Amino acid sequence: MLLEIKGLTKRFPGVLALESVDFSAKAGEVHALVGANGAGKSTLMNLLSGVYRPTDGEIIIDGQAVQLSTPGIAVSCGVSTVYQEFSSIPQLTVAQNIFLGREPCGKSGILSHKRMYADARAILDKYHLELDEKALVENLTVANLQLVEIARALSVESRILILDEPTAVLSIPEQENLFRIIEQLKQQGMLILYVSHRMEEIFSISDRVTVLRDGKKIDTVQTADILPADIIRMMIGHDIEQSSGLSTADSGEPIFEVSFKDKRRGFTVVKGEILGVAGLVGAGRTRLARKLIGIEENNDMDILLHGEKVNPGSPQDAIQQGIVYLTENRKHDGLFANLSVLKNTTASALERFTSFGFLRQGNEKKAGTKILDRLHLVASSVDVPISTLSGGNQQKAIFGRALMCNPSVLICDEPTRGVDVGAKEEIYQLLVELAQQGVAIIFISSEMKELFAAAHRLLVLHEGDIVEDLPTSQLTEEKVLQAATGTLN
Amino acid sequence: MRNPLTSILSSKYGIIVLLGLTVFFAFIFVPEFGTINNLTNIAIQSAPLAILAIGQTVVIIAGLIDLSVGMLLGLIVVIAADIMQGQSSMTVVAILAALGLGGGVGMINGLLNNLLRIHPLILTFGMLSILQGLIFVYTDRSVGQTSPEFSWMANGTVLGVPFAIILLIFVAVLVSFLLHRTRLGAHIFAVGGGEEQARRAGILTGRVKVWAFIFSGLSAGVAGMLVAGRLGTGYPNAGVGYELDAIVAVVLGGTSLAGGRGSILGTIAAVFVLGVASNILNLMEISSFVQIFVKGLIVVIAILLNQPKRIVAS
Repeated sequence: MLLEIKGLTKRFPGVLALESVDFSAKAGEVHALVGANGAGKSTLMNLLSGVYRPTDGEIIIDGQAVQLSTPGIAVSCGVSTVYQEFSSIPQLTVAQNIFLGREPCGKSGILSHKRMYADARAILDKYHLELDEKALVENLTVANLQLVEIARALSVESRILILDEPTAVLSIPEQENLFRIIEQLKQQGMLILYVSHRMEEIFSISDRVTVLRDGKKIDTVQTADILPADIIRMMIGHDIEQSSGLSTADSGEPIFEVSFKDKRRGFTVVKGEILGVAGLVGAGRTRLARKLIGIEENNDMDILLHGEKVNPGSPQDAIQQGIVYLTENRKHDGLFANLSVLKNTTASALERFTSFGFLRQGNEKKAGTKILDRLHLVASSVDVPISTLSGGNQQKAIFGRALMCNPSVLICDEPTRGVDVGAKEEIYQLLVELAQQGVAIIFISSEMKELFAAAHRLLVLHEGDIVEDLPTSQLTEEKVLQAATGTLN
Repeated sequence: MRNPLTSILSSKYGIIVLLGLTVFFAFIFVPEFGTINNLTNIAIQSAPLAILAIGQTVVIIAGLIDLSVGMLLGLIVVIAADIMQGQSSMTVVAILAALGLGGGVGMINGLLNNLLRIHPLILTFGMLSILQGLIFVYTDRSVGQTSPEFSWMANGTVLGVPFAIILLIFVAVLVSFLLHRTRLGAHIFAVGGGEEQARRAGILTGRVKVWAFIFSGLSAGVAGMLVAGRLGTGYPNAGVGYELDAIVAVVLGGTSLAGGRGSILGTIAAVFVLGVASNILNLMEISSFVQIFVKGLIVVIAILLNQPKRIVAS
């Protein structure tokens, strides 16, 4: 066995990301690693590439236990990684990026640019990668960027190549080109660990598949002996159960209608409905939300609120129209960490407490406190910095901020991320209450269970497109995962 | 940007073209400008800042900044002059002290930067203050006297060429070579372009940053020797304001404050644009207060020209 992993465990504060995983793979094999969001694929990959250090367990390459404590050591042990978020340096040329950290030197220790560019050309030619070695990386397309990463991995003579969702950004011919390269590398005896959740690809190029779920290894199987449905079942972890989803919302009037100008599928949210949005990481859920509120260009769609075209040009515009977005990235895009709970809550609605340009703090505090009480926020005072609260209470304050704007449409992106179980329940309850009061709710989540528990209807996104739109009662987790992985016929 | 003049000015070599234009018009319109005496003067006056700015270019390419160099230069001037007391026999000791102090403080900056993970702007500002304190604990008035060799380094000529300029060219060639022809140089660009990416590529980013600060400190050592030689004595305020002038020159010269790209040649050209402009204004007997105003204008205009993308975007 070229690569053996024994009892590998990675613990982050509060999370057991990977739990005692055993795994082995041999040279000349394409080994797919699959799992739903949060299954531990990325953690495993980062442990192998030296980005994280394991809490426990062993990594054995070619019979020798290795400590991959830095990315540099991992590379020198023969493990190269092509990351999903690219790791090239934009200001440098293709060749400089390929040889980053291993710049070719002459005997005197002086860099040889001539040799570097010639070597880069040779690698690009050998694998038929169509790239100009002298081009600046910042001028490349995303697909070409990936080729740079692959060329870098190939230039180190690695024996293990980790590809993380490599086709996410590629067009069909580019994908075929990638598969051809993978085939070539396999013939040369390289082990390719292929992280993906696209079933078609896994079945077309992998020899074996390892399924992870909740940080544990479920099984390793020969790809030829198994069907996509079996893998999906292993990813979900239980037999298909009939969901107990909410009944369909009373078919109220449509509040929010979205259609695409290029005839792709759009969607409608009716009054009082909770519309769940499912999809794997990178399927374009957050992107869709950002377009709906005008953070990203939305010229390619028509957004109708109460039958009138609105197409917000900015988040401010969206809030004024009554479309409010709750970010998935609370820390980065949501909180004003050093401001008080109250200030965080009232931030989007300050004009309500302003007269002649002066803030009427009494009114602000009264309104803020009222809404936070309604949300059962627990804090010693609304004047403490929000960063001192728990995740659940922070999220409640952010909810409070959204509610202060009196939304007609509330888009919540992963509203229960990093929130404890009790607060989760309260958030679901709140969504249901708001829906009953007539707010149209779009509920984006990676947790299938909560979507089934709290949504009337589900949209499933796959590669930016809506591929499924059905009442929750007519869906199963399996069906959603099939749609999300592009294996639904 | 259809105008060919503006498009050349906004290109990578804009600052060099700007320098050429400034010198050209100075020759035509200011008769005293072209005298050997005046040109030598400009060169001698600009050389220390140019050398200091070369060091600053290196740290800025690495995505860092070093505010401590002005006061470091001041401390080096005071200590070197005090060591020499006008004796030629102490010249070599003074040179070693200047370089050792410069490189040493640079190394401390680098190590603290890695250890404390404070933003280098704050860290080196702290170091600036510490060094200023040290200077005034050491002396509150001019001390010592430089040796004749030091004065010659700063003011003398070799075959009509000022020695300070020869030193500048030597430093520029050496640092350009380091940046473009060694691994360390390649890694300085890489760390400035993307530290995490560089780390993932196996580059020891902490070490690269220490070296960048050492270059900056050494440049303060060399520049400090020239300043000491010109002053002839250890004047405690010798370094005041040098750090900002150096940073301005680096940015004018087309080096990105965000790190990852930059050029030594651009930095030197920028130092001379400022030097020539100030010289012209002097020759035209324009008050030094107006000169400060004009310097500000040059900086803003040159930076606007140097960032065509930003103009288009707005």
